[in-house]
Amino acid sequence: MAELVLKTLTKVYTQAQSPAVDQLNLAVRDGEFIALLGPSGCGKSTTLRMVAGLESVTAGEIRIGKKVVNKLHPKDRGVGLAFENYALYPPLKVRDNLAFNLRAHGLGAKEINRRVEEIACTLQIQELLDLKPAALSSGQKQRVNMARAMVRRPSVLLLDEPLSHLDARLRVELRTEIKRLHAEQRFTTIIVTHDQLEAMALADRIAVMNEGKLQQFDTPLEVFNHPANEFVAGFLGEPPMNIFRAVVADSGRLVIPDTDFALPITPGVKKLIDSRKELKLGIRPWGIRVSQTQTDGSVPGKVAVVEDLGDETRVGVRYGEVLIMSSIPVTRRYRPGLQVFLRFNEEDLNLFDSITGERLSDGGYEANQTAPETAGKNEIQAPVSR
Amino acid sequence: MASIQLSGLTKFYGKRRGVEDVSLEVGDQEFLTVFGPAGAGKTTTLNLIAGIVTPDRGSIRIGQKTVDALEPADRNVAMVFESYALYPQFTVYQNMAFPLRSPKHRLPATEVEQRVRHFATMLKIDHLLDRQIQALSNGQRQRTALGRALVRRPDVFLMDEPLSHLDAKLRHSMRAELKEMRSQLGTTTIYVTHDYLEAMSLGDRVAIINQGRILQVGTPEEVYFRPATVEVAQLFGDPEINLIEAKIRNRQSTSVRVQALGEEWSFPITPEIGSALDKLTGDNVRLGFRPADVTVGANGNSSLHGVVYSFEPLGTKSVLTIESVAGQRVRALVDGHRTFQVDRRIEFSVASSSLIFFDPESTRYLIRSIRTEGDD
Amino acid sequence: MTHSRSPLAKIGKGLQILLLLAYAVFALFPLLWMFIMSIKPDSQMLTTTFIFTPTLENYATVLHSDYMQFFLNNLIVSVAAVLLSLVVGVPAAYALARFQFKGKEDIAFTILSFRFAPEILVILPLYLIYQRLGLYDTYFGLIWVYQLITLPLLIWILRGFFEDISPDIEAAAQLDGYSWWQVFLRVLLPLVKPGLVAAGLLCFIFAWNSFTFPLLLSNNVQTSTVIALRYLASDTVHYGQVAAAAAISALPEVILALLIQKHLVRGLSFGAVKG
Repeated sequence: MAELVLKTLTKVYTQAQSPAVDQLNLAVRDGEFIALLGPSGCGKSTTLRMVAGLESVTAGEIRIGKKVVNKLHPKDRGVGLAFENYALYPPLKVRDNLAFNLRAHGLGAKEINRRVEEIACTLQIQELLDLKPAALSSGQKQRVNMARAMVRRPSVLLLDEPLSHLDARLRVELRTEIKRLHAEQRFTTIIVTHDQLEAMALADRIAVMNEGKLQQFDTPLEVFNHPANEFVAGFLGEPPMNIFRAVVADSGRLVIPDTDFALPITPGVKKLIDSRKELKLGIRPWGIRVSQTQTDGSVPGKVAVVEDLGDETRVGVRYGEVLIMSSIPVTRRYRPGLQVFLRFNEEDLNLFDSITGERLSDGGYEANQTAPETAGKNEIQAPVSR
Repeated sequence: MASIQLSGLTKFYGKRRGVEDVSLEVGDQEFLTVFGPAGAGKTTTLNLIAGIVTPDRGSIRIGQKTVDALEPADRNVAMVFESYALYPQFTVYQNMAFPLRSPKHRLPATEVEQRVRHFATMLKIDHLLDRQIQALSNGQRQRTALGRALVRRPDVFLMDEPLSHLDAKLRHSMRAELKEMRSQLGTTTIYVTHDYLEAMSLGDRVAIINQGRILQVGTPEEVYFRPATVEVAQLFGDPEINLIEAKIRNRQSTSVRVQALGEEWSFPITPEIGSALDKLTGDNVRLGFRPADVTVGANGNSSLHGVVYSFEPLGTKSVLTIESVAGQRVRALVDGHRTFQVDRRIEFSVASSSLIFFDPESTRYLIRSIRTEGDD
Repeated sequence: MTHSRSPLAKIGKGLQILLLLAYAVFALFPLLWMFIMSIKPDSQMLTTTFIFTPTLENYATVLHSDYMQFFLNNLIVSVAAVLLSLVVGVPAAYALARFQFKGKEDIAFTILSFRFAPEILVILPLYLIYQRLGLYDTYFGLIWVYQLITLPLLIWILRGFFEDISPDIEAAAQLDGYSWWQVFLRVLLPLVKPGLVAAGLLCFIFAWNSFTFPLLLSNNVQTSTVIALRYLASDTVHYGQVAAAAAISALPEVILALLIQKHLVRGLSFGAVKG
């Protein structure tokens, strides 16, 4: 258990035009669960590999606990890495796969045995110990893979897309298990993933990366509700956030071109918009109210798409090139072609600079900004005996 | 435009079952989604209809014609492949024009040009027509593959997981677009997917297939709210439906008392449920309820007890895994604003209007507790 | 890989270059030696290596002899052998790549195993068969026996190329309204073109360099590879002329290789169609 600090960590590949990881600053608290989230090629895996020592560092510093580990051999860093493709040793039984690393560190046979049994119990793989990797299902392989990373009691546990090769059902199941495991064991953990749901579900804080740069580093709800820029806003959330171009009209209202939306500009918003004439407006599908009757501030439109998904209904309304998707509780009322009225919840609006994509200030429309919750604050209660 | 009729289609690859005894009718202009996990036989079904694979047994009719003996080129079906199967040596335009230059579907050059441009505009790839395939993004390739199928105006569209290789964001917008486009095309379509959202969103009806056999065919509402078997119920919804074994302790005409999740609790029932329960051989029943139908918080007598096993926020909603008194876990979908600490003791209840009853022996659907909005 | 510190890395890089250079010299030296010999007069052949009066006399002698006839023979036989291999080998490679049939891997291996056996092993029975069938000392006889060299190579290279093309592409083209032959000609062949070029060229080189078969299965219809020997066998050894003949003989290969170098590297390195 230890904290992990990355200071202006940079990785430049010789042939690449731009850095794979660009001056990344990240401070992970002791016992915290961090997700590195981003699309493929954003530098998240490279970061993880640098921390593990599998990739050299171009510039910057990696500190685990009190020690700068930049130059240390992977085995001396005290990190445990669960590889994406499992990378289990095929000729060895699960037991020996787990013991492999401990033997390399010269532990006694008795101690090794004790630790293997212990970790197998934690990850519920006791019955698998005498099987070879080829006999395991993919879910079992992933458990063994994680057990191998944890058995040496690393100061930092690194998980590289651990769930990406599993089918949907198993993924949700193992996600819950990992979350539970972390609540019990409190390993300092970094998970690399491109799945935003996985990141939100698991992590205490999410570091969203794109093109080698850190976009935002905050709690899941903060990242979700107050995205720092247009990229983060678009990357998190399913269905994705509606993002429109909006212009400040002469009428003093915020107008979405091609549509009849003209939102009033409150003094607070005016301050944010400043002298800008154009900006980006983002609203999540859940922040849009749909009704069949006109109310104050609602805008008429024709239903273009209806998706009935069991627990929710999604209604898409088209204005020329703009398709506005909303998500509402399940209803059978809407059919394509029907006239409806849309209304944006003001507290759900996000404003972004039209050029940089940066979020306009810290408040925006929303009033009830919640204080970021920190992992350290969570009092751990003794696990219920089972 | 044509209907499709599959009767008793069977195909084995050596000892491995591709599909067995698949019978299915697709109406003219209907959009049918075929849904199932990987290796269920979905693609085999499509390949059989297209004529790429020949069946061991069974017969296929498209429109009025039995097509069993016809070559793929003569069946007038167009297919969108999961791998896109674009011709890498051609440009986007050449790919889309390729079917219209074939001996079977040859058109005059001006009309080829016109059709390709029409559909390229519709698919928003008109600015890419001169690009090589290698220079396209995944999403653009997908659109090109769609375009190549559309230009033909075939009797039948076959789509094999066309969205599965797109990233999540693109998949959502493309799904909506596809749904919008559907009404303009009006061609009979069979759409294969392993994503239940796609299956429900796009399909007029959904055929659920697993291990080469069809489990249920029905409207999205039917398969979601009245799943034919436990297996079907488990395939729809994320997180998965909760399934628990309940022992019936005491039954009155309007309510039933059960022993489940380590506690005794009761819920109201209708006469229809009562007669459905009468058909059971024992006094056990399997109950299914969606995570969204679990309410967390004290709720008088019907409250159940448990501890928070795990809490996973997902934005607007969070998944709460509750360990019940009996140790069995129940998943609940709660509002995104609420937070729960692991190992906290909580009370929860199951909406009695959302219970689905299954026969514990056969795992088949019996009845669900109350009319849903889906029945309007 | 890991923790490469920059000075060490530099030394490593330098060492790498040195080793590669050494290998290049080692590989190219015989060629250079041959060329030098070919422009040396016989009298200076055995004296100091690099000090001599250059002469084209050797080339003149060779070009004015009947050597060019044998050169032409070699060209005819090798090109024809490659063409025959293409006609037979492309469908065979396709079949081995696409269809599942009994003994498929055994057949593929048998074809390849022709390449393992030393030519000298089969030459005696072949010689007798050729005498009987009247194939001895004919163009066709040589083209026929060259298939032992070229066909396995071609099939094995092209099989990989066909395997890399997704069957979906074929199915797509069939659904687009093309018959199987049209699909093959219009879609598949263009996709395996890099492989065809690479395999064809390699086959040509192997056929061209073939020595044992023409030496023993032919007499008048002789190839330049074998005829180069003639300059050794007469009263004195004309090393200069041997070298000149060899240089001329190597010329088509060098030219071909240079012309299609791009395809060759592409064809051999990734037999992949990524689309």
